[in-house]
Amino acid sequence: MTTSTAAILQIKHVSKFFGGLAANSDVSFDVPLGSIMGLIGPNGAGKTTLFNCITGYYPPSKGQVLFKGVAMNGLQPDAVCRLGMARTWQKVRPLAKMTVLDNVMVGGLCRTHSLKVAREVAHEQLRVVRLDHKAGFLAGGLPIGERKKLEVARVLATRPEILLLDEVMGGLNTAESEEIILLILELKKLGLTQVVIEHDMKAIMRLSDRIVVLNSGEKLAEGAPREVAENPDVITAYLGEAVHA
Amino acid sequence: MTVFLQSLLSGILVGGIYALIGIGLTIIFGVMRVINFAHGDLLMMGMYLTWLIFTYLGLDPYASLVLSAPILFLWGALLQKVFINRVLGALPQNQILLTIGLGLIMSNSMMLLFTSDYRILTTSYSSSSINLLGLSISQPLLYSFLVTAGITAALFWFLQTTDTGQAIRATAQDRDAAQLMGINVRRMSVLAFGLGTALAGTAGALLAPTYYIFPQVGGSFTLKAFVVVVLGGMGSIVGATLGGVLIGVTESLGAVYVASGLKELVVYVLFLLILLFRPAGLLGKSKA
Amino acid sequence: MPSLLRRTARGFSLPAFLAYLAVILLVALVPLVTRKPLILHMWIMVFLAIAQGAAWNVIGGYAGQYSVGHAAYFGIGAYTTMMLLELHQIAPWYGIGLAIANAVLLSVVIGSITFRLRGPYFVLASIAMAEIIRLATLHFKDFTRGAEGILLNGIPPLETPWFTVDFVGKRPFFYASLGLAVLVISVNWFVQHTKLGYYFQAIREDQDAAHSLGINLTLHKNLALGISAAFTAWAGGLFALYVRFIDPNIVFGIDVSVQVVLICIIGGIGTILGPVVGSVVLVLLAESLRNPKWLVQTGLASSDSSTIAFIEAHLSNAHVLFYGILVVAVVLFAPDGLLGLLRTGVARLKKQRAAEPRPAA
Repeated sequence: MTTSTAAILQIKHVSKFFGGLAANSDVSFDVPLGSIMGLIGPNGAGKTTLFNCITGYYPPSKGQVLFKGVAMNGLQPDAVCRLGMARTWQKVRPLAKMTVLDNVMVGGLCRTHSLKVAREVAHEQLRVVRLDHKAGFLAGGLPIGERKKLEVARVLATRPEILLLDEVMGGLNTAESEEIILLILELKKLGLTQVVIEHDMKAIMRLSDRIVVLNSGEKLAEGAPREVAENPDVITAYLGEAVHA
Repeated sequence: MTVFLQSLLSGILVGGIYALIGIGLTIIFGVMRVINFAHGDLLMMGMYLTWLIFTYLGLDPYASLVLSAPILFLWGALLQKVFINRVLGALPQNQILLTIGLGLIMSNSMMLLFTSDYRILTTSYSSSSINLLGLSISQPLLYSFLVTAGITAALFWFLQTTDTGQAIRATAQDRDAAQLMGINVRRMSVLAFGLGTALAGTAGALLAPTYYIFPQVGGSFTLKAFVVVVLGGMGSIVGATLGGVLIGVTESLGAVYVASGLKELVVYVLFLLILLFRPAGLLGKSKA
Repeated sequence: MPSLLRRTARGFSLPAFLAYLAVILLVALVPLVTRKPLILHMWIMVFLAIAQGAAWNVIGGYAGQYSVGHAAYFGIGAYTTMMLLELHQIAPWYGIGLAIANAVLLSVVIGSITFRLRGPYFVLASIAMAEIIRLATLHFKDFTRGAEGILLNGIPPLETPWFTVDFVGKRPFFYASLGLAVLVISVNWFVQHTKLGYYFQAIREDQDAAHSLGINLTLHKNLALGISAAFTAWAGGLFALYVRFIDPNIVFGIDVSVQVVLICIIGGIGTILGPVVGSVVLVLLAESLRNPKWLVQTGLASSDSSTIAFIEAHLSNAHVLFYGILVVAVVLFAPDGLLGLLRTGVARLKKQRAAEPRPAA
């Protein structure tokens, strides 16, 4: 078990209600610094809702989110980003009428007022995701795989300490997914903490140091990948979905 | 007290007509998710059409509805097929601009054809009033209200019981699901716009005996129609009905208790308040 | 797969700058070449339209918030300037300054209300706000003279230690409005080439994504609107001084708001030259219909032309009709405006040329 001093992100009893619907219900877990946390669960389990609560898109109805020991409740998404927590979106959100380079520069401008510096940072991140050759293209014209990579480059340009990836491999083919997996592992080596929502079980098993399972808004299980994969409750929740691990 | 009741009553009567305008707009939005900024100008065309029929054919404005409503319906259907249909998938800003442009074309064409001179349509009962329980009711307003009530009832019946009516409601609820169930959604859009136009034009016909008719008259009605629809909830016909009456009453009471010159301002302030605090309106669905 | 719409590199380009400078200098020579009042009038109207269009472009084109209520700022600029001058004898160079301050304050109020709304609701709210101000101006006659309007008796001369400017005739207004147009265009360029421009455009493209990338939405939307309102009001003040008579419908009317949007849509939204192209097209169209005699003054038509007579007799107020037709045409066939058409055309030509087989080396 990790000690809380080593946890960069702490979710404490977070619940989120929409009218009568409990999208998240008393979810608690810690994300250790420098680790990769997998967040899985069937569709509608409340994973994206949790991300939204964590990043300030809307406040949790109950509970607390602590980032580097600081309470995040009530902070707006832009403040969250500036503090060092960045997220990608389940449905990609490219800034369509701007170029690939400009997209990433917007991310870079989070840390600087200088366009020149932002441009350098942007090129750097585009090289990391191997999209630099498309710097002058309009983001709206990219195929889905490259849009996902663009989104990753863009948030990386904000120099986050923790990265929340929401189904970043959704809709990608095997080769593209492999690229992303290697990227995530590389980022981990650079010290970036990551929380990864994914449906691709093979990928989750490879990437995660720990996994949290959500089901119907509640935390169903937490532990090392093997433990979670063999947990009968988890298997029941996923009944009907093939478990690849 | 009589002053209050009097203005309340005329507010309700006028509100009925506002409801008609609002229902047309909400049907268009409900089925096509298009914000029709030309709605007031469609009303204006209804006014001119009624005036023309009255002046050259001598038909009473209420009777001539039998003629004008179908013509207006066809006009709306035409507009939809030629113009609106092309922007159904476009950015909302472009849809708005398109309808603004169409409105400008309509109002300014009428200006070229008929000049900006105010026209009036005077019938034998234009300035008569009926005395009911000590309150004076304007005769044309009363007739308009009755006609509106009749049309609204007929509309409800149409939408609830007939196949086409239900198909329209289905398309408004969920366009994709309706299509999957075999409903021709493009045809529904044409019908919806035609219906919305006919309703707006009918409201114009009903207003013709008591309102000045001029090409720019549509503008304030467009904004009012939106207030009605937002108040009642975008896409809700019952909401538009209630909203129309509420707006009519607000305007009427505002004229008496605030200032007659500020009665429209009161309505717009109410509009902003609704947009800020209850954008879904009284009965509305949220925008899809 | 090469994109047809590759953007050119950003940054300061000396040849382009020199070209702009040359054009401005050439234009500045016009009053020295001709004294024909209708021609100068055309130019002044074009410059004022450019100023308004470029001002709207900041909030509408770059930040993507389609306000169709900019008449509120135009009118506040006009009324503040006129009321201070005519009713309180405060010289317009201070008056316009106060007008701008007023407009910025108003923009904060309007922004706080309307920016909570998105899409069409925002548009509706912006229209409603302008209408509220128009109706209030009409109603509070003791303060604003209501429907009677304000008529300007005269503008005091501007006296500086080096020269005196008498505001007689069209020339001073030519240079004043040219200066304003150049200023607002420069502001546009500046916005586009700084962090502000990137942030505004990000907000336009996807507000939530922008928010999550560290962009303070409220601050930036208000900044864009404030800049836009300031220059719109400046144009309003200058307009009022030039035409010498305003009433609530002239300066607060919805057609003012619509025209400003049209200028940008027709020219090409979110670009620096878009408002220029749009203004030239719209003003030429409007003035040709309203005062077709200017065509005679430039020698483009003979004074007894039957077309001119026809226009004068029947079409003198038809310019709005043509606005409508233009808008519909642009939305349906050229949503990126005339500049967009040009760009696609050029890109297509380039693609064709690139696809042509080259002779063996």
